[in-house]
Amino acid sequence: MNDTERRVDRRWEFEDEHEFLEKLKALVDQGTPTDLLDVITPVPVPATEEILKMKRSPLRFFTLAGALSGLSLGFAFTIFTVFDWPLITGGKPLISLPPFIVIAFALTILLGSLASFAGFLILGRMPSIKKIQEPIEHDNMFIILLEGEAAQ
Amino acid sequence: MASPRACFEKLEVDVLAAMGKPSLGFLVALAISATCFVVGLGLWGYQMLFGMGVAGIRHPVGWGVYITDFVFWVGIAHSGTLISAVLFLFRAKFRSRFNRSAEAMTIFAVMTAGLFPLIHLGRSWFAYWLFPYPNQRELWVNFRSPLVWDVFAVSTYLTVSAVFFFVGLVPDLAVVRARAVGIRKKLYAAFSLGWVGSAKQWVHYNQLYIFLAALATPLVISVHSVVSWDFAMSIVPGWHTTIFAPYFVAGAIFSGCAMVLTLMIPMRKILKLEDHISISHFESIAKILLFTSLIVSYAYVIEFALAFYSGHTFEIAHFTYRLLGDYWYLYALMVFCNVLLPLTLFARSLRRSLTFLFVMSIFVNIGMWLERFVIIVTSLAKEYDPYSWGTYVPSMVEVGITVGSFGLFFTLFLIFTKMLPVLAITEVKETAL
Repeated sequence: MNDTERRVDRRWEFEDEHEFLEKLKALVDQGTPTDLLDVITPVPVPATEEILKMKRSPLRFFTLAGALSGLSLGFAFTIFTVFDWPLITGGKPLISLPPFIVIAFALTILLGSLASFAGFLILGRMPSIKKIQEPIEHDNMFIILLEGEAAQ
Repeated sequence: MASPRACFEKLEVDVLAAMGKPSLGFLVALAISATCFVVGLGLWGYQMLFGMGVAGIRHPVGWGVYITDFVFWVGIAHSGTLISAVLFLFRAKFRSRFNRSAEAMTIFAVMTAGLFPLIHLGRSWFAYWLFPYPNQRELWVNFRSPLVWDVFAVSTYLTVSAVFFFVGLVPDLAVVRARAVGIRKKLYAAFSLGWVGSAKQWVHYNQLYIFLAALATPLVISVHSVVSWDFAMSIVPGWHTTIFAPYFVAGAIFSGCAMVLTLMIPMRKILKLEDHISISHFESIAKILLFTSLIVSYAYVIEFALAFYSGHTFEIAHFTYRLLGDYWYLYALMVFCNVLLPLTLFARSLRRSLTFLFVMSIFVNIGMWLERFVIIVTSLAKEYDPYSWGTYVPSMVEVGITVGSFGLFFTLFLIFTKMLPVLAITEVKETAL
């Protein structure tokens, strides 16, 4: 479940980024568990990642998997086709790697990008039907949300 | 100083105002562009009905205006990726003023470019033969052919550019969603995928954006290199040269930056975005234009130097023909537009004059179109044996289809300015903090 879907009992809103960060830091310093805190911001605020002790996004594994699949598919497919119908042209070897690199390169980029995008959707839990029907707006405020039990 | 929130609000109001009710001028521009496109489409239909004889391409010049248009439009696309991906990795702040429009321009230019191989095919309905698919004859495409590389390079480019464009749009679509009403609100809510702006979403988003930028950056170099290899892999004098890939890439960025200026200078005025896009931002684009112009100029010199240094009879004959032969006036005009005129950008006052930049960008667009025409046509017109020499003049069908392609490009761009935020709102907010 996403943090923003939890039952929220406390909510602080700031117009200013610095005040927002100070409050967030104060909350964490007071011993509020970071997994009960969430923030909504109109722009990315890199300092929140440090304060909330967030892990690095695992998105890179999607990118790597996609790119490697593209690379191997590019070589495997081109090599398969020259063996499926062997036709020697210009006395060149059937497996002519230089031209196949172009195809493998294009597929590396293509599948790497598509897998990254898919990773983003999966990890960011999008598209969310619920939030499409009832969007949560930040209204250009820097917002801190605290889940129920810690707020009591 | 106003609070960040007040700045954010003003930015949103200004950018979203541009998406408001279209003015009469906008509708006239849209009508003209759409008419050009429809006429071009009609001429393509006419060509399919009566055959390729209605075009001017015939032996010995089998590649003419259609291939020129293809290379031209792929080139135009390139500055979009340069601005969105390469300048992002270099942390160039001025990119946030241009990246949205430049990315849209990239996609529309690649879409336009993609039509030209189909138009040039004649029997366009067989275009799918270029894709490797299992068929009853058990034949595969020839992966050693640069034309097949092109299919992979250009379709990858279109897909990756579209993903990059959409990802950049997601937080901005949420901004539009917040301010829209009725059916528009529902539509923008759906396209923003339920974006919230939570800490976790931003972490994944930032990571994705860096990876997409890193993946798109090699495409800036590779796509136009592959396009250049359509020529350089052959042994035609004037085409068979190792400098073609970097020469084409520099030319692509040069022409793309010119098109960014052609589109953005009027757009800034018409959509009243003067508070957000400053003269200094345009000056940065002008500097890229000047830099790439110098690379292109250097390539023009090196081409001749290589031909004469090689002592190769056909290469020397070809380059002499290119400079002094049937198409000398096009070559001279090309040098004026691409080499001499951009040198004026060394003057700071001219770099900061939007009127001058706009006029110059049109000359560069013309110059870069001519560059492709000169490279393609002069090489084929006098290839080897004198008995097969000939000249080429485009027919009215080819001219009409070319005008139609501009119609398509401008129609799509005009629709874009009314449907999506033309400035990357979230990124501009970020730079304002």
